[in-house]
Amino acid sequence: MILTDEEKKMQTGECGQGIRRAMEFLIKLGESFDAEKLVPVSYAHVAYDFCPEEFWNLMTEDVNSTPHRVTTHPAYSPEIWEAWGLPLADSWMGEHERKLNKYKELGWLRTETCAEYLLGIFPRKGDIVPMGGSCMQVANNSLFGARVDRMGILVSLAAAVCGRTPLMGLLLPENRYASHLVELENLDVSDWTMSHFHCLGYYIGDQVPGFKPVAVNGLPANLPFDFARALVISMPTSGAITLAHVVGTTPEAPSLDAALGGKKASHVIKVGKKEMKETWERLNVWTDDTVEHVAFGCPHATIDEIGRIATLAEGKTFKTSMLIGASAPVEALARRQGWAEIIERAGGHFLPACPSIANPFTRPDISGEKQAKSAATNSARSAHYIASVSGVNVFFGTEEECVNAAITGKWKGEMPKWS
Amino acid sequence: MVIKAHKVSAGKGEGEAVVYDGPFAFLGDLSPATGKICLPRHKLEGESLVNKVFVFTTGKGSSGCDFAAWTAKKNGNVPAAMICIESEPVLAGAVIATGIPTVDRPEKNVLELIRTGDYVTVDATAGTIEVLRK
Repeated sequence: MILTDEEKKMQTGECGQGIRRAMEFLIKLGESFDAEKLVPVSYAHVAYDFCPEEFWNLMTEDVNSTPHRVTTHPAYSPEIWEAWGLPLADSWMGEHERKLNKYKELGWLRTETCAEYLLGIFPRKGDIVPMGGSCMQVANNSLFGARVDRMGILVSLAAAVCGRTPLMGLLLPENRYASHLVELENLDVSDWTMSHFHCLGYYIGDQVPGFKPVAVNGLPANLPFDFARALVISMPTSGAITLAHVVGTTPEAPSLDAALGGKKASHVIKVGKKEMKETWERLNVWTDDTVEHVAFGCPHATIDEIGRIATLAEGKTFKTSMLIGASAPVEALARRQGWAEIIERAGGHFLPACPSIANPFTRPDISGEKQAKSAATNSARSAHYIASVSGVNVFFGTEEECVNAAITGKWKGEMPKWS
Repeated sequence: MVIKAHKVSAGKGEGEAVVYDGPFAFLGDLSPATGKICLPRHKLEGESLVNKVFVFTTGKGSSGCDFAAWTAKKNGNVPAAMICIESEPVLAGAVIATGIPTVDRPEKNVLELIRTGDYVTVDATAGTIEVLRK
């Protein structure tokens, strides 16, 4: 790999041991994909709480600050978990605080969200942003036109420390055209909710091998943001798609021809009622209808989503626990609207954490004997990770069905008609 | 039988093969506590990958796969080596960070040539796969 003089210094340890290790990691990764060189980042995004402490320490050793902006994925909130009476919260405190202290010392921003674009921190078209968080990668590529390659949480920390990332994959314009085309067959999306788009994205992600860019044709232009986001972020859950050209919505895909780069798609994937029905069923993993927890905000809730939940929850009392994953600024806005209070009065909670992989109510290593043994969600990503990481029953349905489940403690979700 | 392949993560590992004609995610598919496939309704649900040579198509899933791999490795619950048809950056980062010998782009169709239970040696540094039929 060709390195600049400065990068050579970083590689040999002149800039400290953390940067040396991070460079070695980036170079090995780049070499395995035949990358020619490293490129400077526009900004970087890490997930310090998802990063094992040993690895965090190895990468950040001797690093004092970085010239580029670094933001973070949802953090753990052990102090809040403890305030909620979750028995094992305490065991998460030490590691979280040590990493957070170093994080702050580095001058990095405590965004603590998988939806930074809702805070006004988002890439412009063409910006190079290495980041952990497959849902943010696919959203920043597909909704804003950033150049974000697929990468893991550990690699993203190495990239943040060095301010460099290997020039490979989706950073290269020629790799960004869609090879796979999705066509909708006899599906009327006019009454679809976010959950329907989650379901579609989850099906598509499962159909496309590797992280080949995909084009989704046949949806209304300028799809509402919540819908477009639900569609694209579900894809890297069942698969690895990191760039989805939603034709008419994605900046790089004003037309199907633009998405395909003037070529013909190598594969065509047809989605009809049968595929949607089977995927909806697959996302429901449960035996009896008792609901003990409801999870919203995967990815982190938009203010509109919170507003809708508040409308459904007004004057009600929840039988289940409810967690809404939301960034602190969006939660603050919800509070100003009066919506946060409505939801909290009903028994719901807000947390700038991941309500899926790190859901404190369903994770047995946080909730202990208070673990919720079943959870309802409107997010395919949440359903997938709560089922697989926490090992509990999962109900997948619409926002309204989930709020009803919170109120009644029973699942009455129905299969959509797909007409 | 020796099959040439491309290095993803250096090193050498050997063990019984587990062949899966589909993509794999360290996070969600594999329990770091047991090293077994834990995704409900997965074709290999309950099967252990510990010290096996895992043969599969490519990576998938969350970018948290590399930290999940790190945890699984600390617990000693990872495959001895991995062979995939085509690597992708999350998988590559995971196996490089944790030092699991891994190759991709095998010159022959390993999904057909290698069967679950075969004894397989992967020398990722040299870029070779050696298969001993059970």
